[in-house]
Amino acid sequence: MNKESTLLPCIAVESLTGCAGELLVILENLDKLLPFVRVASFPFAQTANDDGPVDIAFVEGSVSNPHDLEKLKKIRSKSRWLVAVGNCAVWGCVQGGACAKCKVSDMLAAVYGSDSQIEVLESKPLSDHVAVDVKLSGCPINTTQFLSVTASLLKDHLPYITHKPVCLECKLNENPCVLIEKNLPCLGPVTAAGCGALCPSMGAACYGCWGPCQDPQMDAMATILHEKGYDPIDVINRLKSFGAPDHLFQRMSFQYNQETQA
Amino acid sequence: MAQSFVFSKADFDSFFRVLQSLGEVSAPIRVSDQSFAFKQINDPREIAWDALRTILPPKKFFYPPKETLLTYKDGQIEESVSDNKFQVIFGVHPCDLHGLGIMDTIFEAGPADTHYLQKRNHSLIVGLSCMPDKFCFCQSMGTSCATRGYDLFLTDLDDDFFLQVETPAGSAVLPQLPMLRPAEDADKERYKDYWLRREKAFTNGFAPDNLRATMDMEWNNSLWDDLGKRCLSCGNCTPVCPTCYCFDLVDIASLSDDEGSRVREWDSCQFVGFAQVAGDYNFRPSPVDRLKFWYRHKLHGFDDAFASRTCVGCGRCTVSCPAGIDDLVQVVKTLQGQKEGKE
Ligand code: SF4
Ligand code: SF4
Ligand code: SF4
Ligand code: SF4
Repeated sequence: MNKESTLLPCIAVESLTGCAGELLVILENLDKLLPFVRVASFPFAQTANDDGPVDIAFVEGSVSNPHDLEKLKKIRSKSRWLVAVGNCAVWGCVQGGACAKCKVSDMLAAVYGSDSQIEVLESKPLSDHVAVDVKLSGCPINTTQFLSVTASLLKDHLPYITHKPVCLECKLNENPCVLIEKNLPCLGPVTAAGCGALCPSMGAACYGCWGPCQDPQMDAMATILHEKGYDPIDVINRLKSFGAPDHLFQRMSFQYNQETQA
Repeated sequence: MAQSFVFSKADFDSFFRVLQSLGEVSAPIRVSDQSFAFKQINDPREIAWDALRTILPPKKFFYPPKETLLTYKDGQIEESVSDNKFQVIFGVHPCDLHGLGIMDTIFEAGPADTHYLQKRNHSLIVGLSCMPDKFCFCQSMGTSCATRGYDLFLTDLDDDFFLQVETPAGSAVLPQLPMLRPAEDADKERYKDYWLRREKAFTNGFAPDNLRATMDMEWNNSLWDDLGKRCLSCGNCTPVCPTCYCFDLVDIASLSDDEGSRVREWDSCQFVGFAQVAGDYNFRPSPVDRLKFWYRHKLHGFDDAFASRTCVGCGRCTVSCPAGIDDLVQVVKTLQGQKEGKE
């Protein structure tokens, strides 16, 4: 470890309920960070961790049980910047999407039996429970975005994170549009960019893993997918898979909401 | 200038090799069942001769989708300079040549954009004739004949090419082209015949005379709401447009102290953040506002500043809009009061 490490800004990398995808991305890039930070806590990657205050805490995963919540509150209280990393932490991801569709007690009973002692909460993003300073979505997060967010925070600058749709990156790559040419249910128009339009660049439909872009036009998206022959319920399920919050669907036309609730 | 020559298509390979001796040659190639793109090629057999519109227009060669404008390190700012690599862009149709002409006007207007101009000045543009499909409407926009934006122009005369030379840069290549013979009267007849046939080949378009007045008068037409409701705000309509030039500027910090870069990337007026200003005020908050703005800018707005419209009738937006609401011709006809139409 660097000799002057006590003078370096401290970071913590913590995890709630998630797949550890973000932790792996951060681990892979740790060599780039190490000259500039001291890693006070990263239980996934090192054995000696301390609980002292940190400049930046990167938190992966959603809040899905009381233990997550307790841990998150502790992290919040010791961190200057709290950065939610990954779709789970920013939007709630598939577990959040599932909770938007089914009651959490029903899911618990179906998976662990009705006499299960497991304590669960409805899976939610970090900002539903504590103040979050920076939200960096991804599934997993993009290395370039992660490094530039870290660089900005180390200088106490507000990081730039794009909220434009995947379509922009897709067109900038000059991809043929799979929504138009192959009638695939591409969610690029309503999904935040950052991945570099990974899926459409490989000829596949974007399934929205980065979470919603700024002001996503869910109604128009649903209408167009419906016109292409997709079932309204499938359309709504697809749109809700990656934790897009309810309020984005509230202004949708009556037809879809009614059919989903049926 | 405007000298004209003829050469046999059998000599196209040698013609292409001469272009290649000048620099990297890019031409339209097929990239999917329905789409083409300008890509660097080494073999003339890669050229998709039937390509009418590429996904992105040739503006991308001089105004790249993403470009580092400057880097800074230890208090020193260094502006990026082009590597001055010479580029030949082959197979540019009249609409796109007009598009380049409009981009030239915009980027030359003071303060001139050196990043664009450096690359533009190290290029040779070879135009190519085309027969319109059902989406082309350059005729309505007055951009169906090449008048600017190119150095050489080829017209397809069955077994031959008719070559027009427009600029000194184009003339400079002539000594290397022994296959050329000066155009004779019979060739000129064939040339005129081609362009007459082409003028009659258009099936898409509108009467443009009252376009400006129509766009002014119909600002509150309910059509805009109907279209805007379907708009995804995906922004596909703007990167594909040969004359959309808006960009975003981002400073990218580096982990080490006092080092970073400034990058510009194409932006779109169709994104909600585009017109968002301090205080969280947005002067074009809804897709309807943004779509209407875009239509006006393409069909009317720019003539306030530059006395020209910015739509060159290439049809790219029409085919690239997943919502099917960028059928400019249909929209104009509807606004003009013509009832018949697709919908
Ligand atoms: S393929 Fe998907 S992401 Fe790409 S332009 Fe089409 S809709 Fe947008
Ligand atoms: S294209 Fe969509 S689904 Fe694919 S990686 Fe990007 S955000 Fe995720
Ligand atoms: S507005 Fe549409 S048709 Fe007109 S030049 Fe732009 S892309 Fe082409
Ligand atoms: S007009 Fe079409 S291409 Fe443009 S933003 Fe709207 S849906 Fe996308």
